[in-house]
Amino acid sequence: MNKKQLPEFLEAALKRATQPPPADDAAVERVLKRLSGPLPRQKASLWRLPGVLLDWQFAPAWPRVAALACCAALGFVIGIAGFDRRFDGGGAPFAVASNGDIGSIVFEPEALTGARP
Amino acid sequence: MDDSDEALMARIARGDERAFRALASRHLPVMLGLARRILGNAADAEDVAQEAMLRVWTHAPRWRPLALFRTWLTRVVVNLCLDRKRRAPWVALEAAGEIVDPALGAGENAERDERERLVAAAIGELPARQRAAIVLTYGDGMSNAQVAEILDTSVSAVETLLVRGKQNLRRALDSVIDKDE
Repeated sequence: MNKKQLPEFLEAALKRATQPPPADDAAVERVLKRLSGPLPRQKASLWRLPGVLLDWQFAPAWPRVAALACCAALGFVIGIAGFDRRFDGGGAPFAVASNGDIGSIVFEPEALTGARP
Repeated sequence: MDDSDEALMARIARGDERAFRALASRHLPVMLGLARRILGNAADAEDVAQEAMLRVWTHAPRWRPLALFRTWLTRVVVNLCLDRKRRAPWVALEAAGEIVDPALGAGENAERDERERLVAAAIGELPARQRAAIVLTYGDGMSNAQVAEILDTSVSAVETLLVRGKQNLRRALDSVIDKDE
């Protein structure tokens, strides 16, 4: 082989030397067997996170709304009345008008004239 | 049921092990052959093929079909081969078998075998990226653009790799030319 023949020979030899080998079934079987064991944990995909968030249903179901409304109403009543006060006892806001001293204040005689309204 | 690579990858992304085994069975023979040609060593090629398939499994949820699955897998295998620090002995001719041309005499055949062995040995001595470029171009018949995509480089860089690779091979064959002339 001389220098002129070299490029042609090289091209052909490269093609022959790098040809895919015939399928090695035994090697394939060995690798498949190794892969048949427990597989490692998959890596989470962060690019799917926005999609997952968009798929979430934020609308609450009606029983939950009803339960929330009941809790709100109960909280309002307890907040108004309080656990430490009687509804018809002294100090209750709606019982003030019936107190005796309120009447005496309202109907007290005029300080100078002594006149009563 | 759609059993294209992309459909199987979608199932693998959802943790379907049967789809993974189907995909592995489909691509393992070719990927094993590729790893073997780049590494020149059957045992290492099996390790690389196994590692590549495990990456298919672990990265499936992140995989997006921007390129063909086959191209992506080839890139994984080539990168794993290039990452191998240890250089294994080159045994390409063992896999290729004897090539006998009946038109040539016994002496000429022996001479040609010797040259082929030299070429194979020289390929084994090439830097890993040059060897990968030569295997993908000459062995798999890929275009420079395809090789560039797999090696994650430009077309001109692939051309440079091929030119330098062939220069190295010519240098390795110089002794044969001198002897013949």
